[in-house]
Amino acid sequence: MSSLPSPTRARPRLVRSLLRLFTVQGSWNYERMQGIGIGVAEEALLRDLRTEGGADGVAYRAAVARGARFFNAHPYLCGLAVGAAARAEHDGVPPEQVERLRTALCGPLGSLGDRLVWAGWLPFTSGLALIGVALGLGLPAILGFVVVYNVGHVALRWWALRAGWTYGARVAQALREPLLQRATALSGPAMALVIGAALPLVAQYLSGAFFGWARVALAGVVAGGFALLWWQRARLTGLRLGLALLAVAALAGWLWL
Amino acid sequence: MSLEVQLLLLAWGTLVGLDLVSVPQMMIARPLVAGSIAGAMLGDVATGLQLGVLFELFQYDILPMGATRYPEYGPATVAAVSAAHAATGTLGLGLGALVGLITGMVGGLSLHGLRQLNTRAVRRAAAALEAGDPRVLERVHAAGILRDAVRAAVVTALGLVLAQVARAYLAGALPPHGVALLNVAAVGAALAAGTAGTLRLVGRGPGLRWFAAGVVGGTVVAWLR
Repeated sequence: MSSLPSPTRARPRLVRSLLRLFTVQGSWNYERMQGIGIGVAEEALLRDLRTEGGADGVAYRAAVARGARFFNAHPYLCGLAVGAAARAEHDGVPPEQVERLRTALCGPLGSLGDRLVWAGWLPFTSGLALIGVALGLGLPAILGFVVVYNVGHVALRWWALRAGWTYGARVAQALREPLLQRATALSGPAMALVIGAALPLVAQYLSGAFFGWARVALAGVVAGGFALLWWQRARLTGLRLGLALLAVAALAGWLWL
Repeated sequence: MSLEVQLLLLAWGTLVGLDLVSVPQMMIARPLVAGSIAGAMLGDVATGLQLGVLFELFQYDILPMGATRYPEYGPATVAAVSAAHAATGTLGLGLGALVGLITGMVGGLSLHGLRQLNTRAVRRAAAALEAGDPRVLERVHAAGILRDAVRAAVVTALGLVLAQVARAYLAGALPPHGVALLNVAAVGAALAAGTAGTLRLVGRGPGLRWFAAGVVGGTVVAWLR
């Protein structure tokens, strides 16, 4: 077991690991998924182990190898697994237990991140930006989106890494933090409200130059397109619908001379 | 459009493509951001914003979870703005959407190809990775990022070429009614995709009530403006 620095003393290493975590999906592949990126981020926290297990750093190399194995979760919350696994390695937790910890974290971190970020914070902030653009705010609305979104993004990544490093193998406790629970519960309704408000405003913004028959046609296309996407959701995507409608429109427009 | 501006768009599209998955996921890959900045580069912020909004709606149809395959709308929006820029005002919406959707589809396919290349690289380095060699680990990771940068640049370049071709051959070929139909199809598909995607996220639970409240509020504001 190595002497473990506190989160404050370990800050330079945590910062290095955090910076590497911004690239965590850089080598995403079908075999180890995020594993390589996780290994690179964790390596920054494992360097203390180089002096243990003999001159060739057996403990360090074994920990690096474990860190780079299969892993897949939400990219913003990967830091929790990186910090927890690195801390467990320093604490001398048996290798098979470290492996089990990583495996156990994949599902919860993926599910939590998807609900909190992909289905919450991201559509919520981009919905606000859509409203801003539709109301005529222009580029400041876009700038506001990038700044506000990333304040939450970077804070979440930093919290995850620190919490993992602090709790180690007991990292499940971090996932029960009241603030995280409240944010997850609130993000869904907030996203639904904001995007619900954005849709009519955006429809008005995009159809501003349409008159007469074009507005009637637009209403028909939206209603028909939505019905098709809803009932054929397993087969039809927005991309396919868009391409099909554009092809039909180009043909109809060409014939309508 | 000058070569300098085309190169600027290529560089921006590459950064946007890298941001989607590899580095740093700060959401410059969102069509709203990618499109508006591309518009600013062309001195046509209005077109950039319009196509950014249009493709942002298409983006709501996608949840980028795990190994799912999805179109890549960031570089696609850059190409779409480039295509629409020459056709003034809303006349370019349909043309931009056509170029953007095709580029988005190519981008999605290229992501799958990239992941397969990364898988092969990881298999080749498996022995060194299992031995815990940190240099090999970092090299495999850096090569993956480099591969993604090349992929993003190629997708953006293809989109910009497609935009040139579309401008040259399609812009003047359709009668005014045809252009209007194309615009209606683009906006209609985007709104339908955005609504369906959001409702899939919201589900049938209490979120649906919040969504309905939002729609009512947004409609009132739109009506009052």
